Amino acid sequence: MSNVIDQIQQAIAGLDARAGKSNVGTIVSLADGVAAVEGLSGVMMNEMVEFPGGLMGVALNLAEDTVGCVVMGDISSLKEGMQAKTTGRLLSVPVGKGLLGRVVDALGNPVDGKGPVAATERYPVEKIAPGITPRKSVDQPMQTGIMAIDAMIPIGRGQRELIIGDRATGKTTIAVDTIINQANANRVGLASGDPKFRPVYSIYVAVGAKNSSIARTIGTLEKAGAMEFCVIVTAPAADNAANQVFAPFSGTAIGEWFMENGHDALIVYDDLSKHAAAYRQISLILKRPSGREAYPGDVFYLHSRLLERSARLAGKGSLTALPIIETQAGDVSAYVPTNVISITDGQVFLQTDLFNQGIRPAVSVGLSVSRVGSAAQIKAFKQVAGKVKGELAQYRELAAFAQFGSDLDAQTKGILDKGDRFVELFKQPPNAPKSAEIQVALIWAMQNGFFADVPVKSVTAAAAGLQAALEAAKPGVLAKIRGGDKIDDAGAAELKAACEAWKRTFKA
Amino acid sequence: MSPAAARAEAKRLLALSLEGGAVSAERVGAVLGALAKSRPAHELRPVLKAYLSAVRREVVRSEVRVEHAGPLAPEALAAIAAALSRAAGRPLRPVARRDDSLLAGLRARVGDDVLDLTALGRLERLERSLAA
Repeated sequence: MSNVIDQIQQAIAGLDARAGKSNVGTIVSLADGVAAVEGLSGVMMNEMVEFPGGLMGVALNLAEDTVGCVVMGDISSLKEGMQAKTTGRLLSVPVGKGLLGRVVDALGNPVDGKGPVAATERYPVEKIAPGITPRKSVDQPMQTGIMAIDAMIPIGRGQRELIIGDRATGKTTIAVDTIINQANANRVGLASGDPKFRPVYSIYVAVGAKNSSIARTIGTLEKAGAMEFCVIVTAPAADNAANQVFAPFSGTAIGEWFMENGHDALIVYDDLSKHAAAYRQISLILKRPSGREAYPGDVFYLHSRLLERSARLAGKGSLTALPIIETQAGDVSAYVPTNVISITDGQVFLQTDLFNQGIRPAVSVGLSVSRVGSAAQIKAFKQVAGKVKGELAQYRELAAFAQFGSDLDAQTKGILDKGDRFVELFKQPPNAPKSAEIQVALIWAMQNGFFADVPVKSVTAAAAGLQAALEAAKPGVLAKIRGGDKIDDAGAAELKAACEAWKRTFKA
Repeated sequence: MSPAAARAEAKRLLALSLEGGAVSAERVGAVLGALAKSRPAHELRPVLKAYLSAVRREVVRSEVRVEHAGPLAPEALAAIAAALSRAAGRPLRPVARRDDSLLAGLRARVGDDVLDLTALGRLERLERSLAA
């Protein structure tokens, strides 16, 4: 009890007893979450403005006579003639490890019913991205746990890799699997006591999604035990457009804290198409001139200034971004997709056709690219998967020709057989990411012909069997691969012995 | 007439309505008279609306509105006006209003700037800091 009294006395002692100075204005119009305020002559761009009832807004349009403020909350309690006042603060959110395991809104307020957020620091939501000098090139892997991506489109820490595809092609699943994989890797890494191990903390930003979808994602992450390394920032479809616009920036501020304090973080923006639509709504209400597809002229800058904040900093940590874009009927040439493609360091393109054929994750190898490339792969991965993308491209080309005739030479048939098996090997169920060492071992087994006589339909089951056998019998080799070493002769011999032992017991 | 054009016109009219840096009732009358003759009524309405809010803003800018709880001596009001005029760099006309809901102290407003020295304001700030 005395602690509580001490706290109150400290608060009173620390209270500023000087005159309260503020700059006020009067609401002259209200429409769709935007208040036009006459006055507020001293307001700064992006400054938080306080409305009656504790509602907060952000000054976005500084015109000659009025200030356009987006109100973050329920605007129905506001009326024309009410007074608004400046706060002298820019929009900021609580940051730090106290947010791990929590679900917060765009302002950093908890929405999970678990009480106040234990954070002592706040970071501004809008911040200038790191310049050229403090940046370091991306050369450390960020394993997604998805074989098709880690083998052919490797992502590095500090990279911005776009996940793009039509609706219901598995975009969110890839992002969620990546978060789960980080949590799995963190648990193994922290348990190993390796002083060099750097855990990756994840931030999942849900913009304009259905509440039911967000609840499902949270449930998946909780079930996988990933929430302890994860922060969720939500601005669901039911939230006003202002919250949806600021949520990705709030998530980035939370991620920046990890980056600037020597940690590695991953941020998923799910999705930036809805984010752009929310920004378009606000811009139209603010009467900003609209351009292509009615988006305002600065929609490119909106996303570039957001994604430029993801980086790998010299002597500090990194922030990796996985923005998601939803296309309409596979059209990547629409305004927002082309913008975000040009900003990011590559894209994972998901195709509806592949998804419907049962190839899941439905990654289109030809259209997907990682501009960082193999610089972000561990040595063993480079060794076994360096040629896989080329081999699969060759397979697809030959498979297209093979449709027209059945007379194929042995070499072509060999490429097609191997390609079929690779496609099967890369099929993965949702929420089951594979560790890097297991992926390397499976691809090594494929490259060394251990799947050659396995029927195509049985490859997935065979891979699961081999994975179980390796985990049980050869933890030493797997640990060596995990440590980043190449597969040397001794390692190859051990893998070969394990594969042969598994092969003797495997029945298709 | 577009709102932007009406605002630009109102700005020009406001400049004509000032005498010695303050709004002059005589000049405002002259402006209104000239305006009524120069334009049809449907064009006049947006300009007059913009002119009204511009004049209102200018009047507020030239005043110091003091809200106080309990009595306030005229000398004290004059001293407040003089001090704030010095700070603002322009002469301010004092306008006082008693409001006992402020509990104690006074609140002065010049244009959009509010200086709060009331007990109510301090209690509100204390409440906010404890809630945070």
